[in-house]
Amino acid sequence: MNPVLTEIYSTVLQAAPYVIGAYALIFLVLFVYVFIIMRGLKKTEQQMAVLEELLAEAGGAHK
Amino acid sequence: MNDTKKAVRLPEAGGMWDKAAPFALLAGALLATLGFILTFTTAPLVLGATVNGVELIGDQMVSNKLLLSQKIFYFHVPVAIASMLALAFTAYYGVRFLMTKEARFDTCAKTATETALVFIICTMVSGELWTRFEWGVWWTWEPRLTTYLILMLLVIAYFILRNAIDDPERRASYAAVFGIITFVDVPICFMITRMIPSSVHPVVFRTDSGMSPDMLVPFLICFFGMILIAFGLYRLRFRQARLAERVALIKEHLED
Amino acid sequence: MHHYLTLLKKDLTQEFRTKEMLTSMGIYALLVLVVFGAALAQTASGFDILQMSGGLLWVLIVFTSLLGLNRSFAHEKENGCLEGVLLIPLDRSVIFLAKATSNLLFLFAVEVVTVPLFYFFFLTTTTPAASFWMIVAPLIVGTVGIAGIGTLLSTITINTRGRDVMLAVLFIPLVYPLLYACVSATTAAIIGSEGFMDVFAPALLLAGGYDIIMVLLSWVLYDFVISA
Repeated sequence: MNPVLTEIYSTVLQAAPYVIGAYALIFLVLFVYVFIIMRGLKKTEQQMAVLEELLAEAGGAHK
Repeated sequence: MNDTKKAVRLPEAGGMWDKAAPFALLAGALLATLGFILTFTTAPLVLGATVNGVELIGDQMVSNKLLLSQKIFYFHVPVAIASMLALAFTAYYGVRFLMTKEARFDTCAKTATETALVFIICTMVSGELWTRFEWGVWWTWEPRLTTYLILMLLVIAYFILRNAIDDPERRASYAAVFGIITFVDVPICFMITRMIPSSVHPVVFRTDSGMSPDMLVPFLICFFGMILIAFGLYRLRFRQARLAERVALIKEHLED
Repeated sequence: MHHYLTLLKKDLTQEFRTKEMLTSMGIYALLVLVVFGAALAQTASGFDILQMSGGLLWVLIVFTSLLGLNRSFAHEKENGCLEGVLLIPLDRSVIFLAKATSNLLFLFAVEVVTVPLFYFFFLTTTTPAASFWMIVAPLIVGTVGIAGIGTLLSTITINTRGRDVMLAVLFIPLVYPLLYACVSATTAAIIGSEGFMDVFAPALLLAGGYDIIMVLLSWVLYDFVISA
């Protein structure tokens, strides 16, 4: 490549890992957050199931 | 007598907003991806330092270095704006809580602050990488980075405060007050660090003023994408928080 | 107005009877200066302390203020004065003004002692500029801001677990802009080089703006904090 072109693009390769890293990390953080929410949701649903069981037992015992 | 009090409409999960939420999340993700692709294809690289000599690239005469690192801004700025927007909601719900004392608004405020924290982390991470590349150092006390550090500390302090109080109403009141103060403090912090000329450190920023339409379109797409993602995440978290609250309420009733 | 003066007098008389808070704040400031002495022990003889002195002075003030703010409300809580004051039908913001003013006066009293002490320990080897006396302005403006927002925050943290640390965690990030502005103004005045007014004037103005906004906000929000 002629020398002027090499100089024009000289910073690109050095910058690339940082740019890619920035985008990747942003997506990672957002996914981690979604994951945390999902985990909380699953836990709450488990608690809901436990409560429903308790209610069924209490209803059955009364009968 | 109580009927004359105007009923306050409380935000609830599972309503119209929640039906829209998954679509918003999907739309946001799509927009963000589209923006991402566009930034790397159609948006022109930004000009850096001048170079000796001129070359014909594409259909333009270029005589500067072309910078890839500026591409970080296409996500960094929208994420930052999204975090400030989330914080605005914290302050708004804080005000509504203080006016009505309804616990629902406290849940909204807490969820909004969580969303803000997530986006602040995104901002800090992307900003950190940009700083490392641009200035070659991992940290410098320049206005934007400093303001975001302070903002992050304030939001973390918000959650520490919430953890340290047991009484629900007091906790909600104090959190609301602190949320409002935080929201007012952040613009002040930014302005003060920016407007005082520093005798030691040069205040240099590359603000994205005057973007060409080629750059503006991907930027706006990324921006709306991020806002929609933020909204979707907020509704999702709010829904989960409401569900947990209802479960706790039922548990209390069953124990009676 | 009458309530304000009564509350203020109550705080001041209580303090002058025991002088407990003033003396402990004063001793604490002295100890911080000693720590500074150790911190700067190995600096070279050509070290330009003038550049750091503004910052060091404000570090001193911030930490002493944290101590003072904590103590001032601890009194009220221990003796149940707060509930007593709340029984009086008055506008809650008056309590804020009275408390903030008493905190402000205590901080001023401590500063009157510690600034000359700071000069004695660190600045006699060098010659500060002729504009040194101008640090009074940022000191006043900064202390007003610290007292205002500190009173609100200490009312919040007095009822939480881990109150001292909690106050620091809430206080320091909020006060950062004020601190930055005041340190800039103080350093500019101490160094007093050509064109220091370019830094001094805007910094002071911005610090004043911070004060107005934050004290007003604290005043308005105080009602919600004290009755909770």
